[in-house]
Amino acid sequence: MATPIIMPRQGQSVESCILVEWLVDVGGALEEGTAVASIETDKAVFEVESPEAGTLVARFFEEGDDIPVLVTIAAVGEAGEDASDLKPAEAGGGEAAPEPEAAPAAAAEAPAAPVAAAAAVVGSGAKAVGISPRARKAAAASGVNAEILAGSGPEGRVIERDVQAAAAGQPRLSAAAKEAAASGLAVPAQGSGPGGMVLAGDLGATAAAAPAVVVSAPVGEPTEVPLVGIRKLIASKMHESLSTTAQLTMNMSFDATGIIAYRAKVKAQGEALGLPNITINDIVAYATVQVLRVSPEINARFLGDKSVQYPNVNLGIATDTDRGLMVPVVHGADQLSLSELSATAKPLLKDCQTGNINPDFLSGGTFTITNMGMLGVESFTPVLNIPEVAILGVGGLSLKPVMKDGEIKHVQSINLSLTVDHQVVDGAPGARFLKALCNSLENFELTLAK
Amino acid sequence: MPKIHIVDPVEERKPGKLKFPTVPLNAYKRTVAEEAKTLGKDAIVGMLEDMMLIREFEFMINEIKTAGVYQGMEYNHPGPAHLSMGQEASSVGQAYYLNVDDHIFGSHRSHGEILAKGMSAIRKLDDDTLMDIMKNFMDGECLAIVEKHVKTDSVKELARQFLVYGSLAEIFARKPGFNRGLGGSMHAFFTPFGIYPNNALVGGSADIACGAALYKRVNAKDGIVIANIGDASMGCGPVWEALNFAAMSQFNTLWPEDRKGGLPIIFNFMNNFYGMGGQTQTETMGYDVLARMGAGVNAEAMHAERVDGYNPLAVADAIKRKMELIKKGEGPVLLDTLTYRYSGHSPSDASSYRDKEEMDLWEAQDSIAWMKKEVKEAKILDEAGIEAIQADLVSVISAAMKLAIDDDVSPYVDPNFIEGIMFSNNTKPVLDDREPELDDAGDDNLRVKQISRRSRAGVVDGKVVPKNKVFQYRDSIFEAALHRFKEDPTMVAYGEENRDWGGAFACYRGLTEALPYHRLFNSPISEAAIVGTGVGYALEGGRAMVELMYCDFLGRAGDEVFNQMSKWQSMSAGILEMPLVMRVSVGSKYGAQHSQDWSALVNHIPGLKVVFPVTPYDAKGMLNTALSGTDPVIFLESQRLYDIGELFEEEVPEGYYEVPLGPPAKRRDGDDVTIITIGATLYRALEAADTLKEKYGMTADVWDCRSINPLDYEPLVESLKKTGRVVLSSDACERGSVMQSIAANLAQMAFDDLDAPPAVVGSRNWITPAYELEDAFFPQASWILDAIHTQLVPLEGHEVSSNQTATEKIRQNRLGV
Repeated sequence: MATPIIMPRQGQSVESCILVEWLVDVGGALEEGTAVASIETDKAVFEVESPEAGTLVARFFEEGDDIPVLVTIAAVGEAGEDASDLKPAEAGGGEAAPEPEAAPAAAAEAPAAPVAAAAAVVGSGAKAVGISPRARKAAAASGVNAEILAGSGPEGRVIERDVQAAAAGQPRLSAAAKEAAASGLAVPAQGSGPGGMVLAGDLGATAAAAPAVVVSAPVGEPTEVPLVGIRKLIASKMHESLSTTAQLTMNMSFDATGIIAYRAKVKAQGEALGLPNITINDIVAYATVQVLRVSPEINARFLGDKSVQYPNVNLGIATDTDRGLMVPVVHGADQLSLSELSATAKPLLKDCQTGNINPDFLSGGTFTITNMGMLGVESFTPVLNIPEVAILGVGGLSLKPVMKDGEIKHVQSINLSLTVDHQVVDGAPGARFLKALCNSLENFELTLAK
Repeated sequence: MPKIHIVDPVEERKPGKLKFPTVPLNAYKRTVAEEAKTLGKDAIVGMLEDMMLIREFEFMINEIKTAGVYQGMEYNHPGPAHLSMGQEASSVGQAYYLNVDDHIFGSHRSHGEILAKGMSAIRKLDDDTLMDIMKNFMDGECLAIVEKHVKTDSVKELARQFLVYGSLAEIFARKPGFNRGLGGSMHAFFTPFGIYPNNALVGGSADIACGAALYKRVNAKDGIVIANIGDASMGCGPVWEALNFAAMSQFNTLWPEDRKGGLPIIFNFMNNFYGMGGQTQTETMGYDVLARMGAGVNAEAMHAERVDGYNPLAVADAIKRKMELIKKGEGPVLLDTLTYRYSGHSPSDASSYRDKEEMDLWEAQDSIAWMKKEVKEAKILDEAGIEAIQADLVSVISAAMKLAIDDDVSPYVDPNFIEGIMFSNNTKPVLDDREPELDDAGDDNLRVKQISRRSRAGVVDGKVVPKNKVFQYRDSIFEAALHRFKEDPTMVAYGEENRDWGGAFACYRGLTEALPYHRLFNSPISEAAIVGTGVGYALEGGRAMVELMYCDFLGRAGDEVFNQMSKWQSMSAGILEMPLVMRVSVGSKYGAQHSQDWSALVNHIPGLKVVFPVTPYDAKGMLNTALSGTDPVIFLESQRLYDIGELFEEEVPEGYYEVPLGPPAKRRDGDDVTIITIGATLYRALEAADTLKEKYGMTADVWDCRSINPLDYEPLVESLKKTGRVVLSSDACERGSVMQSIAANLAQMAFDDLDAPPAVVGSRNWITPAYELEDAFFPQASWILDAIHTQLVPLEGHEVSSNQTATEKIRQNRLGV
């Protein structure tokens, strides 16, 4: 009797994973713990290990398949054993399961999930028996996302009346608005479209299709790089961010002499005190967290018809990886000291690099910081990690001429770029936040003292 | 159950001895020379010519089947060829005295009979009549081909070429063939020459020919009928049924003077001693001599005799004598015509079951060789004359073959043509122009009077009229039948209890008084013969309404319904019509063999119209439609409903009206679920619809599939577009039922509008238990609600009483129950 190898559930929010690569051919020998396949959530890459020693007797999916978690993907047993009885219903030729409901890297989950109070019952995500053809048709006509409804039909099938109930509890939505609503954005009672139809813009978000890869002919043999996994998610996320928010970026630099000196001091003596290696990034992050504690309008998310401000700070730290941009989140950053913050962030960043990050650490942020200083960038316009209303970009060290004591001196300075969603945050509060942050960094020892 | 004849126990209990008439064996004694004097030399030469024609024709087909070439022409004929080489004398002798009005029905081995009867007709018909027949047959298509390629001034010569070509083109499945190639070798026929359908089912022609004879007797038509069937068919039940049917005493004892006498039919057993690989006389039958069997049928032993089928003159003599008997009303007749086939049963049969020695013995007595010798000795023909005949025949057959295998001259039909001939779809209310024979069929008829006192409306002032005061379903059957009896003189009705009793369910009460015996009579308990004779009656041009008292008895008439009633319109390429209505009562209360709805079986068979009206209005209107049409209709009735009044239409009109076959009837208007029923389940579905509304606030669109085939799906699809949900129910066992077939079609036709897959609620796949347990077997209103709740849309607070889940269905199917 062969033993199933199942698609592990990588975190509470993960419903399915992409099978990136088979690492063992059918017939291959396995030890307990041998990596059989590498899989990827929309956030990270993992390896699936064999639960026991034996021979890989069956593989039920193809590379590239999107496979629901807890489904059997392969079987380990004795060589030549027939494991077809383990073949799951989801397995089949080509695309086995529908594209999962993408949980964006920073979707609203950890702090209150303010979903609109629609009459529809939203499904738990558990696999229901399906959606009747008639319900699908009704959903298409009324703009209800039938995929997320809990069915009231036999065995939980979504039937027409479920769609009707959902439609009755909310205004008519355009097709794009329907998808946007599915991502958790609140639906206004009245839309701006014809007859009060809610358009995607009314939710402050538009679900955009992934941009097509355009290849022009005369530039040599093109290489087509399909957008999959994280790349695909980043593409839609970034586009959505820029197309659904009003981004305003402002720059301000601060005199970094103080923090450089502080860092040097920690580097020289910290080891003896048991302090971790504190980076400039750690220092900027720490100061940012402290200022955010008193800037609720910046430590916030915009959910269509309201700005939700948070007393505590979950700080996202953007990081570059082989698979693309990832944003691990330090939960409860405002509760951490500088050294704790540094010690907490580093393993998260490392896990992202190696692809071992627990997906639960990839969501729940209230503010994001992104540092391109080490790449030589002085100043840039960070793109909002929606639905957060602000993001801080950190530039590199540069010498800046300043008038000091009547003469021009060059001081080590760092540029900070703050992008805010002008829908919620005006320029002045943004500027005040930036100014407070610069002050905090220029007087970092005072900041530490607070 | 004729009351005028008393079965007297004193007579019946008397001792005594039963004596059988003597059955002559090969009694014919005359010589060729003697017959040449009485019949004339031309007749003798004609017989020899016809025998040689058949021999050469069969030789040609045998050459094609075995060598792929005849006279240098290569051809591959993949279809059947049951050859009759050796049997020529039996068919030529039979045809000699037959007129065009005398009709023969044959078997799979009837090429010889077609040619013999055809040549006989050509010799007897004058040139003008012959030309008319050929010109009018299929708009002259076959004639035009023959005329174009065969140069002759002789109409009879032209007709012979026409006969050979038309037959061969039919065997080769060509469009100009006698039946557009749709009948083929085993079924070819040509009614203008009195050649009626040949039948690929062994003995299949017995009851059909019997029905043709019934038609001649009932409608006082000239001519006799011959059923040419094989010796082995004596082992077939329907053949026995036909023999008995044809010999019923009532023809002599009860029928009116001008219709009296046994049926004008000869059951001619072409006795070649083999049925497939079994030798009848010594192996598979116990009769020793086939002719003996006549003695078991009636007091006259069916005037049976054994005739030497190797001597055409002996056969002709026997036919002549038997025709005289039949004309005196002394039919039916049984002939045991000895013959022998030289080839195997079919090309795949190497005759491994018989000795070469036996075959040599028969070939040594070959009828054609013998005739040639006799005509030479009688100086009727010399060798050169015979050779000239042979050369002529080879040229005629070669010419026919050349035309028949030429794809340009003789193409195949466009297969779509077949769709157009599955039904004749004609309306012919009257099939003969004489005055219909009636007795007490007017307003004084007791049934007519009884009905006149009844309320034709089922509901008056909002109240349902009591059963004994309302116009009932059975009254509808009576009115529609009586109407047709009064209009169409050919209309007959019969079944096992049709007269006096008035039918087991009293539909025909009053018709006994309205009609003379020959139009309404009791048949033997012979379902095969009941339907088979109906087929023959209809093929001859009459209208018959036959009855199966219970649907469960359908199996007894299996071949007649599945292969005969359903097929002859299309196998004749639309030349024949089949105005035959078969009333079938669907029972209950009487257990496993009296309670089955087998609509799925008849619905499955192409070529049948199948209806199941369940209201008095529809029963009358649909029977009117069936009885004015020209197609075979299976008319299902439910024994649950014979006493119901009309609840949907305002009333059942007194006058004539028709309800078209095809559209389903809407019985209730609703929005939430569609319920489709077949048969009496409608009334339980309405109960379910009531509960649905009262308890669950949902309304049902209820449809009655009163016409199963044809069926107009459009209204059903429209209903599904509205409701998105459908449950189908009938009293038939669920597996393979009509409901499943409709459900599958609807799932396809309305897929995008469905909120759940169609649910089917049928009877359990069990035997029907006793009446006391029927509620566990037949679909109940509660089951319909359970199916809606379990499969379509959960009903709040509903508690199921039956398990309608998919899991349960999987379990049941795993067990096959």
